[in-house]
Amino acid sequence: MARLSSTSGLGRLGPALLLMAPAVVMVGLLFVYPLLVSLAFAFRNESTGAWDLANFQKAFSLYGNDIALTAGVTVLATALVGVLAIAIAGYLTLGENPRAVFVLRWLYRWPLFIPFVVAAQLMRTFLAKNGMLNNALMSLGVVDPLHAISLLDWRGVVITFVWKQLPFAALLISGAMASMDRSMIESARGLGAGRFRILLEIVVPQVMSTVFVALILSFVTMLSALSVPMMIVAGSPTLLTVDMAWRVNSYGDYGVANALGFVSFAMSGVAAWFYLRQGLREGGKPR
Amino acid sequence: MKNMHRSLAISIAIALGAHGGLAQAQTTLNVISGGSQNMVDYITDYLGPLFEKQNPGVKVSVVGTGPDDAGSQKMLEKLQAQKSAGVAAWDTDVVIPNQQKTGEMVQDGLLMKYRDSIPTGKYAVSQSAKQALGVNVDGYVMPMFESQTAIAYNPDLVKNPPGSYDEMRAFVAKNPKAFGYNGLKNGMSGVAFVVGWMYAYGGNPEAVQQGPYDAKNSAGWKKAFADLKAFNQQVVFTPGNAGTLDMLNRGEIAMGPVWVDMFQSWKAEGRLAPNLRLKILSPGMPGQPYYYAIPAKAKNVDLAKKFIALATSPEVQAEGIVKRFNWYPGIDANVVKPALDPKVWNSLFVDITPADLAKNGKPFPLAPYFKDLREQYEAQVQN
Repeated sequence: MARLSSTSGLGRLGPALLLMAPAVVMVGLLFVYPLLVSLAFAFRNESTGAWDLANFQKAFSLYGNDIALTAGVTVLATALVGVLAIAIAGYLTLGENPRAVFVLRWLYRWPLFIPFVVAAQLMRTFLAKNGMLNNALMSLGVVDPLHAISLLDWRGVVITFVWKQLPFAALLISGAMASMDRSMIESARGLGAGRFRILLEIVVPQVMSTVFVALILSFVTMLSALSVPMMIVAGSPTLLTVDMAWRVNSYGDYGVANALGFVSFAMSGVAAWFYLRQGLREGGKPR
Repeated sequence: MKNMHRSLAISIAIALGAHGGLAQAQTTLNVISGGSQNMVDYITDYLGPLFEKQNPGVKVSVVGTGPDDAGSQKMLEKLQAQKSAGVAAWDTDVVIPNQQKTGEMVQDGLLMKYRDSIPTGKYAVSQSAKQALGVNVDGYVMPMFESQTAIAYNPDLVKNPPGSYDEMRAFVAKNPKAFGYNGLKNGMSGVAFVVGWMYAYGGNPEAVQQGPYDAKNSAGWKKAFADLKAFNQQVVFTPGNAGTLDMLNRGEIAMGPVWVDMFQSWKAEGRLAPNLRLKILSPGMPGQPYYYAIPAKAKNVDLAKKFIALATSPEVQAEGIVKRFNWYPGIDANVVKPALDPKVWNSLFVDITPADLAKNGKPFPLAPYFKDLREQYEAQVQN
């Protein structure tokens, strides 16, 4: 019986490979091959024709601050997305006022449908020194006009990222929470536990793997966004994507751009490592 | 119901008519434009239809690749790819690149020497028609327009605007955060301000503008960049050319470098407060042309020449370039002037007189200096 099934398994493999081939070839040609070439050419010194670390030296000396800022901004934004997404999903799961839950459920998804570039433009008018936010605060008398500050720097980027990625993470996490067995929540509630305690001690531990996946995917998405830092950060330091575009567009210098790409790839590689490790722990199936 | 039938019949008739028109247009003239959206609009709304009317059966198709070096770099890479692939007839008939990339295109043999074979070639008299940042482009290009940077200011906030870089430094020291510019990476008006700064304080401005290239000429840059770094502590950074105008308009800054044409167009459209004014700092702020050029192996060479001849005729320069877009003409201003209403002509020179322009309108540096200057700014001012 076992032998029979293994031969038929082999027989099934042929058509399966055939069906997969177009997708594999496309991914290989259009994604893996260019990726490998660009990673390799980060080590290519165009002026001497040798393979060395000159591109990395230049990248770190010119854009060291930007590398640090990129890491800082994406980690901070990811952390904020995590906290806020758990809060929203938690209220959707445990909230007792059906009307508030309904309104929240209806509202929180909106930014999901707005592209990054539009979000950046919104924030540009919202966060400017004389923008909507400050004007509203001024008319409420919270801020006086002379001390209004523009948030159009790294803070603006964090705000935009969090606003844009929050619904994605909240959607995943609230989905996981909704599919949980509610009996534990009910019994904890019966024993008199508060909602906050139930959320932190019962609900979140059970959906931790989903939280993890949502945050890693958000991290990688934010790391690769170009329009947001380009439109929001004026001057420097700025994020790596802007520097990459600048090297290519202004100097035609693919070497340093590739080196910066390598750095950014290494950052997302760390996230990918966590992602795969999480998947393996759950039985070899990254979700 | 009857109405519906009628509207259906009409829309079918329109569709057929449009189809008939398409079938007639057998040749497509492919134009790639650098510059901001306004340059693409110029061809879509004005120049293209005019050319199609004069040349039945031709359709002008224009694609915009975006402003500054980035947009022109895309054109360069497209032409280069077709050259290295050995394509016999390239898919682009006319390119409109900026100054720096035009020089590179000529050096790489991507452009055709065509100017002497078109009737308007003799009107290309400016220095920039011959030299593009130190590269000899004589014969390869016709300037589309000349653009100039200047300081825009709000006269309600600044009674005596600074007239020179020295006065600007004094002003900024006294009024921190009143001046804003877009640095180096966010648009050319910021780059122009930095270049003007280097002309004022970096030493050897003539060599940097005219060449020849010698790394020794940049000996004085370190001090100038250090001063600029200190200056930058007192200013506001704006997100782009349009960002400077936005912030000026919202009253967040009182002064900032802008492109003159963008400033005038926004003012004409009512997007800027009408009281804002312009001034060029001495010893000078740079400007740059955009060029019309023909790729070396363009498919429709004769049509491309005809198109450029139309675009650089005195009438089109007067109506399209000066009147509609507030640019300075790309060809000899003396042949454009008779075609223009004196009122329009004068409005072009209200804040910035022809004398100002002659004295303080400067070119960008030679390409190798320009590259050094930007990299050193990144290393010494931004870090």
